[in-house]
Amino acid sequence: MANVRVEGIKKSFKKETVLSDISFEVKDKEFFVIFGPAGAGKTTLLNIIAGIYVPDEGHVYLNNKCIDHVEPEDRNVAMVFEDYALYPHLTVFDNIASPLRSPRYKQPEEVVKREVTRVAEILKIDWLLDRNPSELSNGQRQRVGLGRALIRSPEVFLMDEPITHLDAKLRHQMRAELKDMQRNLDTTTIYVTHDYLEALSLADRIAVINKGKIEQIGTPEEIYYKPANEFVASAFGEPEINIFNAEVVKENTELKLSIFGRKKIEIPKNIQKLVAEKEISIVRVGIRPKDIKYGFIQKNENCIIGKVYSFEPLGAKAILTVQVHNQLVQLLVPSDSEIQLNQEIFIEIDMEKTIFFDSVGNNLLASYSNVERKGVAWQN
Amino acid sequence: MKSNKVVSLLKDLGLLLYAMFALFPLVWLVIISFKHDREMFNTTFIFSPTLDNYRVLFSSGEFIGYFVDNLIVSVGAIILSIVVGVPAAYALARFDFKGKESIAFTFLSFRFAPEILVVLPIFLIYQKIGLYDTYFGLIWIFQVVSLPLMIWILRGYFEDISVEMEHAARLDGYSWWQVFIKMIIPLIKPGLVASSLLSFIFVWNNFTFSLLLAGQKVTTTTVAMLKYVSSDTVHYGQMAAAVLISSLPIIILALAIQKHLVRGLSMGAVKG
Repeated sequence: MANVRVEGIKKSFKKETVLSDISFEVKDKEFFVIFGPAGAGKTTLLNIIAGIYVPDEGHVYLNNKCIDHVEPEDRNVAMVFEDYALYPHLTVFDNIASPLRSPRYKQPEEVVKREVTRVAEILKIDWLLDRNPSELSNGQRQRVGLGRALIRSPEVFLMDEPITHLDAKLRHQMRAELKDMQRNLDTTTIYVTHDYLEALSLADRIAVINKGKIEQIGTPEEIYYKPANEFVASAFGEPEINIFNAEVVKENTELKLSIFGRKKIEIPKNIQKLVAEKEISIVRVGIRPKDIKYGFIQKNENCIIGKVYSFEPLGAKAILTVQVHNQLVQLLVPSDSEIQLNQEIFIEIDMEKTIFFDSVGNNLLASYSNVERKGVAWQN
Repeated sequence: MKSNKVVSLLKDLGLLLYAMFALFPLVWLVIISFKHDREMFNTTFIFSPTLDNYRVLFSSGEFIGYFVDNLIVSVGAIILSIVVGVPAAYALARFDFKGKESIAFTFLSFRFAPEILVVLPIFLIYQKIGLYDTYFGLIWIFQVVSLPLMIWILRGYFEDISVEMEHAARLDGYSWWQVFIKMIIPLIKPGLVASSLLSFIFVWNNFTFSLLLAGQKVTTTTVAMLKYVSSDTVHYGQMAAAVLISSLPIIILALAIQKHLVRGLSMGAVKG
């Protein structure tokens, strides 16, 4: 039962600024994901909330009480570390039991035993309890680290890439379990990851940070469909979103876009209005690989001709790269498509699903469509 | 197959020869400690063994006094260097401060100069401040001998422990001191035991400082050996017996703590 608020956090290590002016609020029982590339400052931010680092500026609030000067052991937060941080001289049992044996959260020994067994069963490591951490695989170690956090009921769970080192299959399984677990535990969770699928599938809300700054905070739907800028747009999705420069051309009363130096493509009315208002001459057009259609004949005048550059099958889907007017466009297609290299191909961009950025990469229009897309399967 | 056997036999023989060569001084020491003075120079292996040397050693109780003195200063020096060295090594491993490497190097440099070179100024200083021929004086100077070793060995052990483990323990509800005692000390124990033993050996056998900074009220066994060199003769038998007795504590200590001298305990708890 806790909400966490950070306000104007700044932190630098040896003149190198790691975090600058980070503020956000995590609501009670929320699953809040901090997403960012390596070196963005995600772990530092988590450590500040945990009380391991003291921020240079700014405050951390827990339940609206400032906890800047509360020692980590008194904050009642549990953390899962990326590098496990297990106690090498203790067995798995003692590792998991450690919080319940500490002076701060002491429990009678029979409670400890019951709880360790319970947690170990959930994590499927109950047959490893007598081993030392050195005798475990990385996936097992990570689950021990998770167990050490789950054994008590803290105000907040902090998880630093807790399933990154698991193999793909187990990671998938743990992702589902984590979501389940969070629902059952009903505890505020702050989760750090660099895996966009993890972020989209687990989060109630996501904060995207890059180079120590927050790029956007929003629900997975907002982040995916209404990215605040090009960075957010290209961080979510594999293959990356295609972004091209397009010139605004006037044709009669309509504003159209000229992409790849040749075609005049119609754009939605609201974008036209915005472009006209701001008197923009160049927009950057972002289109997800799955939102481009292709064909071998020219169906209508919006089709653009190109040449197949490469074709990479990845199981059921394949990445098709098409060269159009010296630019490469990536498409996501079924992998059983019969496509030859250097073949002529027509692509059609679905302008309804396009994201428009201005020349510095900010989203022109924070809302191209207000349709709620709940229950979307997060696949590319 | 046959040649293999011959080769391994030859290897064993070689090792045996080397063992005899290496152990001979010790064997010789044991032999002469049981020899009477009058048989010292005219017998080698065949003689009538006697316990006279040991009897002389323990008859006055003097030697026991030297032995106790040696024990006090050595143990005192090791305890002092653990108390000072463990936090120092921790600080050098964990914290980032100005001049860190220079300080670490300065500790090491305590061992650079030969003892005989520095003993004269120390002698004069000790005379002035009244530390000459006291237990504390010797403990203080011996601590300088053992501290660098302790700090440099332990620093490596501390660096092997991941900082995250300390953080994890803090979040588990332990205060910094409890983390240090419960989580860190067990992990550096092999290093602590090894460096303490090594320092103990150095300090126990130290001769220069014991001779020149003490000798009347406080006398260590190494200095006491000199007493068996009298003006007319050298009592080799008694000296050998004294050497044997004074090396016993180290042998016993080394055997007793052997099982703690294991490495690699800290491996495997962090991402490998």
